[in-house]
Amino acid sequence: MKKIDIACIVDDDPIFIFGAKRIMQLADFCNSFMIFKDGKEAIDNLKPIVLSGQNIPEVILLDINMPIMDGWQFLDEFTKIETKQKQKILIYIVSSSIDPADKNRVKNYQNVSNFVVKPINIETLKRISEEVLDDLEQ
Amino acid sequence: MTLIKTSTALPQSEDSLFDFIQKAAVIGTWEVDLKSNILTWSEETKNIHEVSSDYIPNVETSLSYYKEGYSRDTITKLFTDSIEKHESFDTELQIITAKGNEKWVRSIGQPIFENGECVKVQGLFQDIDEKTKNSKKLAFKEEQLRRTFDHAVVGMAILDLKGNWLKINKSLCDTLGYSREELMETPFVDITYPEDKKIGYKGVNDMVNGTINHFETEIRYISKKGDIVWTLVSSTLVKNDKGEPQHFVVQINDLTDIKKSSSKVEQLLETTENQNKRLLNFAHIVSHNLRSHYGNLDMLLDIMKMDMPETTKNEIFPLIKEAVNHLGETVENLNEVAAINVKNDIELEPINLLDIFNKAFKSISAQIIESKTKICMDIDADIYVKGIPAYLDSIILNFLTNAIKYKKADEPAKIEVYAFAKKNKIVLQIKDHGLGIDLEKHGNKLFGMYKTFHKHKDSRGLGLFITKNQIEAVGGQIEVESEVNVGTTFNLIFIRHEKN
Repeated sequence: MKKIDIACIVDDDPIFIFGAKRIMQLADFCNSFMIFKDGKEAIDNLKPIVLSGQNIPEVILLDINMPIMDGWQFLDEFTKIETKQKQKILIYIVSSSIDPADKNRVKNYQNVSNFVVKPINIETLKRISEEVLDDLEQ
Repeated sequence: MTLIKTSTALPQSEDSLFDFIQKAAVIGTWEVDLKSNILTWSEETKNIHEVSSDYIPNVETSLSYYKEGYSRDTITKLFTDSIEKHESFDTELQIITAKGNEKWVRSIGQPIFENGECVKVQGLFQDIDEKTKNSKKLAFKEEQLRRTFDHAVVGMAILDLKGNWLKINKSLCDTLGYSREELMETPFVDITYPEDKKIGYKGVNDMVNGTINHFETEIRYISKKGDIVWTLVSSTLVKNDKGEPQHFVVQINDLTDIKKSSSKVEQLLETTENQNKRLLNFAHIVSHNLRSHYGNLDMLLDIMKMDMPETTKNEIFPLIKEAVNHLGETVENLNEVAAINVKNDIELEPINLLDIFNKAFKSISAQIIESKTKICMDIDADIYVKGIPAYLDSIILNFLTNAIKYKKADEPAKIEVYAFAKKNKIVLQIKDHGLGIDLEKHGNKLFGMYKTFHKHKDSRGLGLFITKNQIEAVGGQIEVESEVNVGTTFNLIFIRHEKN
């Protein structure tokens, strides 16, 4: 079975990062990680990667509430990156927020696949994995 | 002969001229011959008294035509005085005519003397009824206006075209805190709030030019104490019959109290808005911060279970897991409550009550069958209420599960559900025959947060609190009757949806 190569986590919460990484390992979710602690760090690092077309993560798990640059700002910047490659990157918002306003806001972003409410568990990751792999085959 | 003719003709024509004058002026004559005590009335005098021309008056009856009281007393005295004191009189009194009509008359009397003795009193008798009534009416109207002006609750003033006070009323003095004398000596420009001095100029000019008759504006004045007085000024220009401007009539309405209370209301509104914002903020903290901590705890416990299964096989781990689950539930509940309170302008939609019930029964059918719950329901299929579907689902479900949960220990639950219209409301009655609640003891906290009244494993004490909030959020009300060991009846009152 195919497996996600690189998964990217953008979150300011070290406990979540620790936990998410561990659950990903336990779920055999991906081969490697890219971790960024806020939107700014993520965009600064992801932009050259996307432009180079090398080692592009297949999936990004993006937190909303972060210092410096939050998830929404990251999305705004990220959609501006112009690439020649057509490799798709699936973005999942992973947030503690159960505010319907946040869920609705996701609909404004075409490249965001879904909204996942924390905590995440193995089942959630398996579902995401299936969706990402399905999407890559298309 | 000619002379005689003329002389006989002359008195005739003199008579008729005299009559003519009498008639035209509505003036009659009268004469009392004191020797013979005979009273003569001219034709017109008889007309004024409304008696026929062959009427023969006498002194006593003639006085009795005067209206009893002031008029009769006055004429009697004047008449007596004219004879005894030789005084003539000219007075205005009221008579009651032979036909019973009340009239104002002018009576003039003049005593005639012979050798220092009064032999005759003669005089004029004039109908002045219309004139008197008119002038009295006018005087009354003037008095009315004067009183209105003086005692009006609003400040009123009359100003000349140069803006000098001609007349001011008490209310205006009170509003501005000046005495009448002080205010009359103070030009109104001096008491106008500096920034407002130009406000009235245009209106006054337009009125003088004749483009408008009247204008209204808000102007601030300064009272004697130095306080700002907010007023609504309504100004009218009065013109004479040639259309020339004469003076201004101005009404000055004190708005200070209104302004003060409206600024108070604004302040209150601001405070409330701030509090609402804080509540929203709180909801957000609950929703995000608390949830993220809970999420991490939950995740870490999952990892622990998978990573180090041996450390979870003890008494403590399941308890920690349970505590974390409860924390998650609590956070979720709090968020639910906050969400209801934060939602402002909710769109209410028509909801079929029977559909909601059928849906609820379906979702808890296993629980109903298992608990052998008996349900008796009577709801018309065409009853619609206004609400939010998700709230209605949760409300109905909560009452049904509560009724099953708090049944009597020794018998299955029995639930009765009725719905009926009451004016523009729909009353939904849900009656269980369960444990009941001691309302004397718990009534005031029945719908409170985290209140439970029965020791049941699933009692969270949040259901009724959320339910009440949800019912109120859709404009409804909730009433309760209950008796311990008999059962509880909830009346849920919803706004009825009228079909077009």
